[in-house]
Amino acid sequence: MNTYTKKIRELASNLLKEGKVDLVIGFKEGTVPMATAPGIARTPEEADGFVWDANCSLNLTNYLTNKKEKIGIIAKGCDSRSIVNHIIENKISRDQLHIIGVPCTGMVDKNKIRGLFEDEITEFKEEGDVIRVKTGAKELTIDKQEYLRGNCRTCMHRNPVIHDDLVAEPVVEQKLADPFKDVKAIEAMDADEKWNHFENLLSGCIRCYACRNACPLCYCPTCFVDEANPQWVGKGQDPTDIRTFHFLRAYHCAGRCTDCGACEDACPMDIKVRDFTRKLVKDSFEIYGWEAGLTLDQRPPLDTFKPEDPDDFIK
Amino acid sequence: MTEQKTKIVAFLCNWCSYGAADLAGVSRMQYPADVRVIRIPCSGRMSPKFILSAFREGADGVWVSG
Amino acid sequence: MGNLLEHMGIEKDRLHFSWISSAEATKFVDVVTKVSEAVNALGPNHKLVKNAG
Repeated sequence: MNTYTKKIRELASNLLKEGKVDLVIGFKEGTVPMATAPGIARTPEEADGFVWDANCSLNLTNYLTNKKEKIGIIAKGCDSRSIVNHIIENKISRDQLHIIGVPCTGMVDKNKIRGLFEDEITEFKEEGDVIRVKTGAKELTIDKQEYLRGNCRTCMHRNPVIHDDLVAEPVVEQKLADPFKDVKAIEAMDADEKWNHFENLLSGCIRCYACRNACPLCYCPTCFVDEANPQWVGKGQDPTDIRTFHFLRAYHCAGRCTDCGACEDACPMDIKVRDFTRKLVKDSFEIYGWEAGLTLDQRPPLDTFKPEDPDDFIK
Repeated sequence: MTEQKTKIVAFLCNWCSYGAADLAGVSRMQYPADVRVIRIPCSGRMSPKFILSAFREGADGVWVSG
Repeated sequence: MGNLLEHMGIEKDRLHFSWISSAEATKFVDVVTKVSEAVNALGPNHKLVKNAG
C-alpha cells in the first residue's frame, strides 16, 4: 500500500469518526486492473476501501452538484479547481466541504498502456516513477512520465488550490516552455485542414455522451442535446450532429474548463475531445489572463464586464 | 439584379439594430438583399445555439447585432 | 464563439458581431454591405449544414 492510500484512509476515517462529515467521496478499487471506481464511505470501516494510484483520473467534483450533506472529498489539483468552479457557481457551499487534497504527479493514459500489449492486463503496480504492468504473456516496466495523460503533461497546477488537509507535501509544479503547443498546431492549419482534422477526430464518436457525463461542468438538468422542442441537435450519427454536440459542449465550458481530462478519459472510443476545450483554455488565458478555478474571490471573466475587455470582434 | 446565392441570417436586437434597419428602410436607403432578419427582443436573448442552428440549416453567414 | 468556430474550421468571416444604435441607419447600411461582401467573398457554406437542399 502506498503512503497516499494510507493517509487518505486515515484522514477519511477520522473525519467520519469525528462526525465532521456525513460521507467521504473517494476512489475504490475497480473490478479490473487499471481501473478505479468512485466510491462513497459513510462509516470509518468503509473508508478502508479507498485507494490511490495513477488510475484515479475521474473528477469526483461531478458528484458534488446540489448535494445537501456535509461531504469530504478527495481532490487532485485539477479536481480542486473544479470544486472552486462549483462553489463559484453556487452548486455547493464551501462550508459543506472538507477537501482532502492530493498533490498529484499525473495520471496515466490507460489506452496508451493497453496499446503496448496484445492481451489483457492482469496486474498494474505503481512504484514511484515506474510502473510494472503484467499480462498473461509478458511483463513490462515502464516510465510513468512517458505514459501520462495529455492533460497531465501540460498541467501547471498539480497541487490542490483549496484544501483542508493534504495527504503529502506539495509536489513541484511543472515548468513548461509552451503549454499550448497542441492548440497552436491546429491553429496553424487552414480552414479546410482544420475541418478535416476534427472530422477525422470525431469519426469514431458513438454519441454515448460519456464525455458529458464525466465532466464536472456539465450539470444542466436538461442538456441541450436532450431538448426536443426546439431540437437543436439531431439524435443520430450524422456528422453534423456529432460536430454540433462536441462544439457546443466545449463552448459551454468556456472559461470554466480546468482541463482535468475526465472527458477524454471517459471516452470509450479514445477520441481526443480536449482538442476543442484546449482552445478555450488557451483563449481565456490569452484574452483575459484567466485560468479557471484558481480563486474563490474573483468572478470568471465571462460573467463580468470590464471596460477594458477586448472588443475588436465587434464592428 | 444579379442572382443572390448567399444567405446571411441576421439576428437583430429589437431596440437597436432592428430600429436602425427600420430607419434605413424608411429613409429609402439601398443595402444588399441577402440578409434574412430575425428580430430578437434583446441581444441578451442571443444564444450560441441560434448561431449553430443557422449554420446547420444552411446559412452562409451569421450576423449578430445589438 | 468566433474563435472556436474558426478553430473548428469555419471561416472567421462567416460570423459577424456589431453594435448599432437605432438612430444609425447609415451605419446599418454600411455594416450590412460589409457583412454581405465578406460572406460573398467566401462563397456558399457547406460545412456544418444538416438539411441542405
